Amino acid sequence: MTKYTQGHPSSQVGLYVHVPFCVQRCTYCDFNTYTGLLSLEDEYVAAIVQEARLRAERAISARARTLYFGGGTPSLLALEDLESLVEAVRREFRLPWGAEVTLEANPGTLSPSYLDGLREAGVTRLSLGVQSSHSAELLLLGRIHTWRDAVGSYEAARSAGFDNISLDLMYGLPGQTLEQWQETVCRCLDLRPDHLSLYALTLEPGTPLAETLAMGDVPAPDPDLSADMYEAASELLHGACFWQYEISNWARGSSPAPEIWALPPGGETEAISPAVSAHNLIYWRNEPWVGLGAGAHSWFRGRRWSNLPHPQAYISAIWDGHLHGYSDTPLLQTTLDGELMMMGLRLAEGVSDARFHEASGHHLHELYGHVIDRFAEYDLLEWNGERVRLTRRGRLLGNLVFQEFLLPEE
Amino acid sequence: MEPSHIRNFSIIAHIDHGKSTLADRLLELTGTVELRKFTGHSQLLDTMDLEQEKGVTIKASAVQMNWTAPDGGTYELNLIDTPGHVDFGYEVSRALAACEGAVLVVDATQGIEAQTLANLYMALENDLEIIPVINKIDLVTADVPRVMREIRDLLGVPESDIIAVSAKDGTNVAAVLEAVVARVPPPSATQVDAPLQALVFDSHYDSYKGVIAYVRVYQGRVSRDTELLMMATRAKTEPVEVGVFRPEMVPIAGLSAGEVGYIATGFKSVREARVGDTVTDAKRPATEALAGYQPAKPMVFASLYPSESDDYENLRDALSKLQLNDAALTYEPESSQALQFGFRCGFLGLFHMEIAQERLEREYLQDLVVTAPSVAYQVLLTDGAEVEIHRPADLPDPALISEVREPWMKVQVITPTEYMGALMEIFRRKRASLMLTETLDPQRVLLTFETPLAEMVIDLHDRIKSATRGFASMDYAFLEYRVDDLVKVDVLVNQEPVDALAIIVHRDQTYDKGSALIRKMKEAIPRQLFEVPIQAAVGGKIVARVNVKALRKDVLAKCYGGDVTRKRKLLEKQKAGKKRMKQLGSVMIPQEAFLAILRIDED
Repeated sequence: MTKYTQGHPSSQVGLYVHVPFCVQRCTYCDFNTYTGLLSLEDEYVAAIVQEARLRAERAISARARTLYFGGGTPSLLALEDLESLVEAVRREFRLPWGAEVTLEANPGTLSPSYLDGLREAGVTRLSLGVQSSHSAELLLLGRIHTWRDAVGSYEAARSAGFDNISLDLMYGLPGQTLEQWQETVCRCLDLRPDHLSLYALTLEPGTPLAETLAMGDVPAPDPDLSADMYEAASELLHGACFWQYEISNWARGSSPAPEIWALPPGGETEAISPAVSAHNLIYWRNEPWVGLGAGAHSWFRGRRWSNLPHPQAYISAIWDGHLHGYSDTPLLQTTLDGELMMMGLRLAEGVSDARFHEASGHHLHELYGHVIDRFAEYDLLEWNGERVRLTRRGRLLGNLVFQEFLLPEE
Repeated sequence: MEPSHIRNFSIIAHIDHGKSTLADRLLELTGTVELRKFTGHSQLLDTMDLEQEKGVTIKASAVQMNWTAPDGGTYELNLIDTPGHVDFGYEVSRALAACEGAVLVVDATQGIEAQTLANLYMALENDLEIIPVINKIDLVTADVPRVMREIRDLLGVPESDIIAVSAKDGTNVAAVLEAVVARVPPPSATQVDAPLQALVFDSHYDSYKGVIAYVRVYQGRVSRDTELLMMATRAKTEPVEVGVFRPEMVPIAGLSAGEVGYIATGFKSVREARVGDTVTDAKRPATEALAGYQPAKPMVFASLYPSESDDYENLRDALSKLQLNDAALTYEPESSQALQFGFRCGFLGLFHMEIAQERLEREYLQDLVVTAPSVAYQVLLTDGAEVEIHRPADLPDPALISEVREPWMKVQVITPTEYMGALMEIFRRKRASLMLTETLDPQRVLLTFETPLAEMVIDLHDRIKSATRGFASMDYAFLEYRVDDLVKVDVLVNQEPVDALAIIVHRDQTYDKGSALIRKMKEAIPRQLFEVPIQAAVGGKIVARVNVKALRKDVLAKCYGGDVTRKRKLLEKQKAGKKRMKQLGSVMIPQEAFLAILRIDED
């Protein structure tokens, strides 16, 4: 019998706002972003405020736990626009004071006065797209800033009073050596950030970087070297009091982690430190979220939908009252179960049987006992009867594990 | 028809020298087929789908034409087609045995090629009158005087006996018919009263009339009322119909000594009316069969597996249907730990294998995994018993073997002299001996090699074509079985021998072939969760080893809310791809890895 999921019972959502504008597109980027459309800013912001109002009307009880401005380049928004967006979310979704409000920012776009304004608007957390400390790498990636800009922005943010700053870095770049990577990591650790996201370069088909590589002008990254870089960074971060809580994310703890890829205290990621991204944790635990803006996705009460991707099309749709741009589909329970595992196993806390049972109605061992046993044999998963999580080795081979919880494509 | 007014002949030619076009012109000239029936490139003698992409639906390889010669006499001309593929040498010899003459067609732009010679020798062995014809004289690149000289020297005939034609525009084609009447002898020894003796020189399966046997009657007479006995297979039947091809099947009262036509036998499989068998009257049988019958004997073997193991029964069904029309195809069920359930199939040669495989895929829509081909080995055991093995994995323990024999072939290659060196090098690596070098003209030589069939089945034809940029032509024929120092190389994947990957090689080649094979395997096998050793072993002793390194990192770097659906689909696709691989113990092997043997000589 076909069984559709009811979704997570909570009405507490993570609220995401997509800002699709960029000054220049990065060479590896395949996100829903646009250059030269900043003239739409006012209309776009007004449309999001309207969307917030309409969605709140329909999902009467939804309350925002977190707010996240992603992009694109949210730091291109004028301060008053940001203020009105935060204000709209507070009003419509009752975002509490003191809740985590993250803004993705590009180094080089942040002046001290802008940073002060962000603080006043209620932004509590900055995620800086630093990517690299080497100019050749930044050039290859098509970034508009320099390492010096990154350090300047970081220090200005600290001066403005930001006490929760995350840096994004990339490894596995064409031509990048292990030493260059370690140098970037060490330089960033010297800044004493609260949080780090380390992303292996993913070559998305059709991006300029993928095409450059296909032409053979630039050497393709070696996956084994990428593995070495990951492990080397893990060691460095472990030594600097960082806890790895997700495949690509680390938060600085008050005390060192007992080991690399340790189970968080009490099995709860939040216990590591306030620097853990509360918003992203919602995704990995497959709890509900609502996305506002062009191309934003939502997952609420068992349904998943996404808005029209182009900003102009999105704006028109909102003013016409069309809230469901694309793919408003119910989700099969079996699909959701697989997704719970695919997302949850990304966390060092793994998937607890209690949380799984709450979302699925089944116990882990009923659905996946044999899969878990097999991967335990390969030292990819560990299972203590209460909780399943990737092993240290398994966190590099997650795809092989995640697949087994999904159904093959028909 | 009076036997003196019957002419039975065939046309022999190298591929593309214009055999079919000439046949079309003859049918047209004799009024057998109206001009308008020739549409586009359709050539009436090639009727199998693969040869002609579904042009004509009946297979008419023996067409009767009636022609009034310039002398005023009316003649019955039977044009008997010969299979174009070198693997069907035996079938060609039976078709030629049904004739008294052969038109030898040579392309005026190419000259004599390897198949021209092979067919010519076979025609001469059957004592046929040869009518040499130079075709394509309309082309600007034609060199008629040179080709005239080649043919003159080859056949020892005056140039005035050689007819120069353009089958394409019809120039001088009538002269060919005149020569057939004038030079090809009428059928001899044509006692109509003697017991029936008719040679089956071809057959096909018809879903309404059963097997249609193409016959040449040597003595006696056959009609619909004759109860028939196949002298080799001992099968009996009452014919459904007797007739001739014009070119469609036309029933007639009967066929008498000297005549060519068909018998609709009602048999359900071509295996009951085999090429080379003699048809006689069951009530009044001939005392002996016509000479030269040999049951088709497969010499090249490969395993066919369905890509999805659920399709096993469909494949069995398709093979049984294919066999109705292909007496030479054999198959038996086999299982392999890696490929699960499939069939070990026997073929006359590589071309036969390719045709069968293509027909299975195109006509029967089978999605196949085909293992690398191997040959039939004869093994003499120490206890004196002799066994024939059709797959390398079956070679017994060396301690039990007294000797191993493998089939050798005679290969003839005609090549421009500039490529001789490259060809010699190819054949040297194939354990071949050069037996003879003959100069055809200042630019071209005929090389005769002897080489093991096992060396040919891999990639000989492709290598010759690429080394000579397509200018060389090749023909081959079975020579004999020869004893050699042959050993089995086992391939072990993660310490487990994989039956489908074993090969038999000469002892001197064990290291080279074994290590080349496992290197190619390594390229084809994706990295796994653990290091996978691939070893080549002879008699339990490892001769070469490579490792497929363990996969270290395969994980999506980013997965946030908006990515969930897309990333899930990505992983689902990856999983579906894995499902198509074959699992051997805990190692996943893609189907291509089973063909690594085909590429071991690439480096």
